[in-house]
Formats: sequence, structure tokens, C-alpha cells
Amino acid sequence: MAECCGSSRPKQAASSCCGGGGKNVLLYACSGGANVAEIADRAARRLMAEGKGTMFCLAGLGADIQGMVQTARDADLNLVLDGCPMDCAKKIFQRHGITNYTQAKVTDLGIEKVKGVRATDEQVAAAADAARAAIAKALMA
Amino acid sequence: MKRIQVLGPGCPKCARLAEVAEAAAKAAGVEYTLEKVTDINRITGFGVMMTPALVIDGEVKTVGKVPSAEEIKAMLA
Repeated sequence: MAECCGSSRPKQAASSCCGGGGKNVLLYACSGGANVAEIADRAARRLMAEGKGTMFCLAGLGADIQGMVQTARDADLNLVLDGCPMDCAKKIFQRHGITNYTQAKVTDLGIEKVKGVRATDEQVAAAADAARAAIAKALMA
Repeated sequence: MKRIQVLGPGCPKCARLAEVAEAAAKAAGVEYTLEKVTDINRITGFGVMMTPALVIDGEVKTVGKVPSAEEIKAMLA
């Protein structure tokens, strides 16, 4: 098993070990109950698998877990992937006064928010594309 | 008395953060204790999933980076 900084931490945690190597991009996805939340979550996980960033817990930010709030503050960039116009994830960042974020929104892609409907692979791919573009634009700014 | 804790598994950056924090505390002239927290369960207990992290008097001050001595001195003030 690969090690992290000489410890026995598994490889999957390596991107979060020792502050990582390149830009420290964190991914926060909507975690609601509708299809757009599933799309946001799966898109964020896809980006993490691609090495575009590390997914972190939006609920922890909402719960004011101090270490998690500071983690977001100290990131180079936070991607906020909201599901719908309620902008819950973005509002959590705003409530904490955290400004180093960029937002993408699933419903901006023409996807309707519906309860009880599963996300499709095409929708997840579209959301991942939008998220990648938002990250690239923010890092170039 | 300031309680300084450096969270990390023992990586080079973690050791560097401990050195800088200690130097900053000495330069600031404050009384302090310094603890290196390497236990992953204790680290995650702070809500920290990225190391190294600096905790002063129970408050997480920085995560995933090594701040300068001047920055840490300001945190100790």
C-alpha cells in the first residue's frame, strides 16, 4: 500500500496529505434529495477521481465544524457545485465569509430538478464538464 | 500559557510547521506548550482532513500549509 508522508495512511488520502503538491482545490457538492443533488455529487466524485480536486463535506461546513471551515478558508480554490437555484452550498460559504470559491449549478445546464428520478450518466458528464470549466476559469483568473 | 498543537502524521511539512511555530512562540515571548498530534483519530476530531494543521488554544488556525513565523506570531498575539 502506498504511504502518505511516511505514515501508514492509504494512497487514497494522499491528495490531502501534507497539503498536497499542486493547487489545493476542494470540491463541495449539493447533498439534497432530488436528482440534481445526485448529479452534483456524482460529478464531484468524478472530478476527484480525475485528480481535479478533493471532495470535502458540505454538511461539516454547514454545521460550523471549525476545522472544516478553516480547511475551506486555506484552500487555493473551492468548487461549489450546487444543484438548484436555492444555492445552499454557496450560501454556506457566504455565511462563513469565505470568498475563495467558484460556483457551478446543475439547473443552469437545463436540467430540471425532480424528486424520485435518478441521475443519468449524460447529466453527470455535463455537470462534470461545467465544474471542470469553472475550476479552470477560476485558476486562470 | 498558549497551547500550540501541530496536527500531522509526521511528514516533513509537519515537522517544518512545528519548527516555525516554536520559533514564532519564542520570538513572541509567550509561554507555550507544543504538542505534535500524530494520531489520525485525534486529527480528524478537529475536523481536519488535510495536514499539516496548526491549532492554538483549541482553535484550528491553518490547514494544509506552513504559515510564516510572522503569521503565527500574529495568531499568538
